[in-house]
Amino acid sequence: MAKLKLAVLWLIVSLPLAWGIWKTLQNAMKLFE
Amino acid sequence: MSASTRDALAANDTGSRGFFDRRRTIAPPGYNRFLVPPAALAVHLSIGQAYAFSTFNIPLTKLLGITQPASADWTAVQIGWTFSIAILFLGASAALFGRWVERAGPRQAMAVAAACFGGGFLVSALGIQSHQIALLYLGYGVLGGCGLGIGYISPVSTLIKWFPDRPGMATGMAIMGFGGGALIAAPLSLLLMNHFKTATSTGIYETFLCMGIIYFVFMMFGALIVRVPPTDWRPEGWAPPLQAKALVTNANVAVGTAWRTKQFWLLWVVLCMNVTAGIGILSQASPMIQEMFTGRVSAAAAAGFVGLLSLFNMGGRFFWASISDYIGRKSTYVVFFVLGIALYAAVPTLGALGSTGLFVIACGVILSMYGGGFATIPAYLRDIFGGMHVGAIHGRLLTAWATAGVLGPVLVNYIRKFQIDSGVPKAQAYSVTLYIMCGLLLIGLLCNLAVKAVDPEHHHRGQEK
Repeated sequence: MAKLKLAVLWLIVSLPLAWGIWKTLQNAMKLFE
Repeated sequence: MSASTRDALAANDTGSRGFFDRRRTIAPPGYNRFLVPPAALAVHLSIGQAYAFSTFNIPLTKLLGITQPASADWTAVQIGWTFSIAILFLGASAALFGRWVERAGPRQAMAVAAACFGGGFLVSALGIQSHQIALLYLGYGVLGGCGLGIGYISPVSTLIKWFPDRPGMATGMAIMGFGGGALIAAPLSLLLMNHFKTATSTGIYETFLCMGIIYFVFMMFGALIVRVPPTDWRPEGWAPPLQAKALVTNANVAVGTAWRTKQFWLLWVVLCMNVTAGIGILSQASPMIQEMFTGRVSAAAAAGFVGLLSLFNMGGRFFWASISDYIGRKSTYVVFFVLGIALYAAVPTLGALGSTGLFVIACGVILSMYGGGFATIPAYLRDIFGGMHVGAIHGRLLTAWATAGVLGPVLVNYIRKFQIDSGVPKAQAYSVTLYIMCGLLLIGLLCNLAVKAVDPEHHHRGQEK
């Protein structure tokens, strides 16, 4: 249960960050097109 | 009665304590300390939105004209002040409320930060709807700035207490969130503005309302899950080194004493110089790459370059702060300044050689050290002044950031304008600025080398308070 709580909390903060990184990388690719 | 027994009783005494009381946040025995960083990240990922405020710059100049600025619309200069006021209040609130944040505990501080930052967006939305710039300044600038300052320092001392064995990594993780906040906020703002945009509205009013609510909820999530360790808590199997390192004290210095020491002001200059130099690149990144590589880098590609720098800024916060746990804080800053001087001096040459790849890598490393400077400073303060008031001391040191936030862009813009007015080609107008940044980094290096342990006469005697 404690491990599940740990995973959920980290997921809640990691998902928006991962989305932001993905969007930034998509933009950054234009630099090398 | 031992301190830990007192803590245990306080933690169980839930009836007479308010939910936000520090004593209600004391973790029970066996609590997993890795449950705490997500709380810090929730706050820092939110307030990091500040780095993406420029996303609103152009739309805010077209509130009345919608497709293009009308004569009664706000000017870019007027809007630019919003960010400057926010950074100014970030520094002021961190310095003024640092001691209160230590006393009240992270939950209360994070909740206040959430109310200020989220509320700041709502007040700004009202200003946008009624087209009163004073409300934008009051909302995002003053109220939001206070949310930034209080939110920034609120998890720092808690994390240092949970991770006495890895204070750099712990604070680096949280402060990395501040860098990452812009990566989320920029696409989120565009997504919301596009969603709410109509033929008669830019959609910014609704965007500000939504962002205020989203950030309030996300920051309150952090406030709800944050926990402080019991007094004298230590990680299992870890003990403070008996033989303290030269620059790592086992004693404490009170905030009122710390800011009167030479060490505080040396570190103030160290942070200020590192930030001023970093802002020099960050604030000019887009025009710089377009003008140094004329015809080879489009505006869209330059935007991608700025995004890439944000990634380096974020990654550097975790990377360098974690490295500092192994090589020491002083050595980490020596690397920042020495490598920084070499790279700043090399950037104009790389531009002249036409090497885009090397130019991007050099700027990326510079920005990683800019972020690393922010993330390593709390652990440096802990090493020098102890953990008792590290949050409050960090708060006062952040006035260096507020100063650099104003000094950096002014310095860069003024020198560049002077150069262009003197007939220097645009592509070369950055060289002098970058060489001046080398000079600032040299000042930072000398101050860092002058940092010595605090005289024991400044050490706090008696119980921690």
